[in-house]
Amino acid sequence: MAKSDDCVHILQGLLVFGNVVIGLCGIALTAECIYVVSNSDGPYPLLKATENRDIHAAAWIGIFVGLALFALSILGIIGVVRASRTLLLVYIILMLITFAFEMASCITAATHQDSLTPNLFLKQMLERYQKSDPNKNSDNEVTKTWDELMRQNHCCGVNGPSDWQDYTSAFRLTHSDADYPWPRMCCVLDAQGSPVNLDGCKLGVSGYYNSNGCYDAISGPVNAHTWGVAWFGFAILCWTFCVLLGTMFYWSGIEY
Amino acid sequence: MELPWVLLALAGTGVAADLARLPYVPHVPPMALLGKVTATTFALERPRCVFDGHADASDAVWLAVAFANAAHPPPVPSASGAFRNPQSQAEVPPYKELPTARSYMTLETAAAAYSCSAQSPPVLRVGGDTACREQGRQDPCNGPLPSPGPYRVKFLLMGCRGPKAETLWSEPILLRTALSPSTIDPAPARPGSALVVIASILASLGAVLATAVLGALGAKVWGSLCHQGLGTDTFIRRSYRTHHIPPALPQPLPPGCGCSPPGLCQSAPQSPAPCQRIMEQFGLDGTIKGPPRFNPPATGRDSFN
Repeated sequence: MAKSDDCVHILQGLLVFGNVVIGLCGIALTAECIYVVSNSDGPYPLLKATENRDIHAAAWIGIFVGLALFALSILGIIGVVRASRTLLLVYIILMLITFAFEMASCITAATHQDSLTPNLFLKQMLERYQKSDPNKNSDNEVTKTWDELMRQNHCCGVNGPSDWQDYTSAFRLTHSDADYPWPRMCCVLDAQGSPVNLDGCKLGVSGYYNSNGCYDAISGPVNAHTWGVAWFGFAILCWTFCVLLGTMFYWSGIEY
Repeated sequence: MELPWVLLALAGTGVAADLARLPYVPHVPPMALLGKVTATTFALERPRCVFDGHADASDAVWLAVAFANAAHPPPVPSASGAFRNPQSQAEVPPYKELPTARSYMTLETAAAAYSCSAQSPPVLRVGGDTACREQGRQDPCNGPLPSPGPYRVKFLLMGCRGPKAETLWSEPILLRTALSPSTIDPAPARPGSALVVIASILASLGAVLATAVLGALGAKVWGSLCHQGLGTDTFIRRSYRTHHIPPALPQPLPPGCGCSPPGLCQSAPQSPAPCQRIMEQFGLDGTIKGPPRFNPPATGRDSFN
């Protein structure tokens, strides 16, 4: 009997600990998803221009899932300590529903991260940079974002300045190839914002132009957001799975 | 006395072969420059020390550019093969006539710029001047090239009376052709490994959880049905040991049950089994249920009564 009681107490302790962790992780998930939803600087206008809002949907689901996890963890702790079958049954069913929602959020975030290929940004940049259409405000946003990106990160194009040579673009329609093999922002600029050596920049002499691509500068922050939502949610789900299995085992052993 | 004959012979050869063929081949600079060949321009390495010994101070070096037409079969002469050196300044083919004449000359520079001691950039850019194209000036215009080519070039040293020296023709230089961005496919080639891992693991976890919950609920329902059947229904769903007690006189207890003097019990070795059965018959072995407590569910029956 004493050994069985010890086993019961150990199982109760583990379940309480598991629920505490779930509660804390729920709070963290909510905070992180609020940050992702509200963080609109950096390369965000480029994402908005791709018209792919999956990461937003995943983050909104994550906010509510986090709050639900916190509330359910409290319910779970009370149910385990009081060994109440009703409370634990309610806990298990609601946790399953939350599990399903969080699963949807994780998979959506992972799919979104998958879709942000260099080619996506390349096509958008070629079609919209410097498009000079006064009606479409989003194109101006794209141009301003790219200029800021290239100036701050000392980079050019998505894969490199050769993007502007390999493909025709909206930029090429208004800027001749002889004068602008690539945009002026790709040149090394001095303090006033004009190229240090314009001929060197046009010829591609190293030191006078930016030879790196900007894809790393774009994908870094975006991946950080997406990984945060997808992989953190995945970790929470794995932990929740174990706690739920333990709770079901505990529930089925309680006698009336 | 041979000297006047030598001088005359030299003068004769000077008049007949006034065009020196320099063994220099113009080429695109070998160093790594991203912009050395673009869609409308290309760069050439500046010839250094090539014209020394042939050029005077007043001479000019021109660059002749002609279509190479490398794809055409030999019977059709290439533009570079058909190029004739202009014999005077007025015959220089201008930039505007490139589409029709299939060649032009540009980059008129003083010969001193190509001397050994000149401090000048090591690269010449052909096609870099966009201003002269619009204005249509008659000056030598280094305008952008209208088509990808391929082109051949050679340098021509022009004096006051005509060409004095020329280099060899270069290899064909093909300019870059840009593709349309509609050829770019933005979709990922195959689903990333992260997506596959997350989706597969989460799907399996969800399936296991759903199965476990359904199994637990099903077992509970099954157990509650069995419990009701036992109370009200005579249909036997599980084996139930009947205790049939024949109406007989109580038998004397066999020796060995509950005997106090230990010495007498040792002669009768068969004691524990009959005692145990009688104890079980009358429920005297202590199976009394206390307050609700946790039992490991060994079978479905034990937990749901």
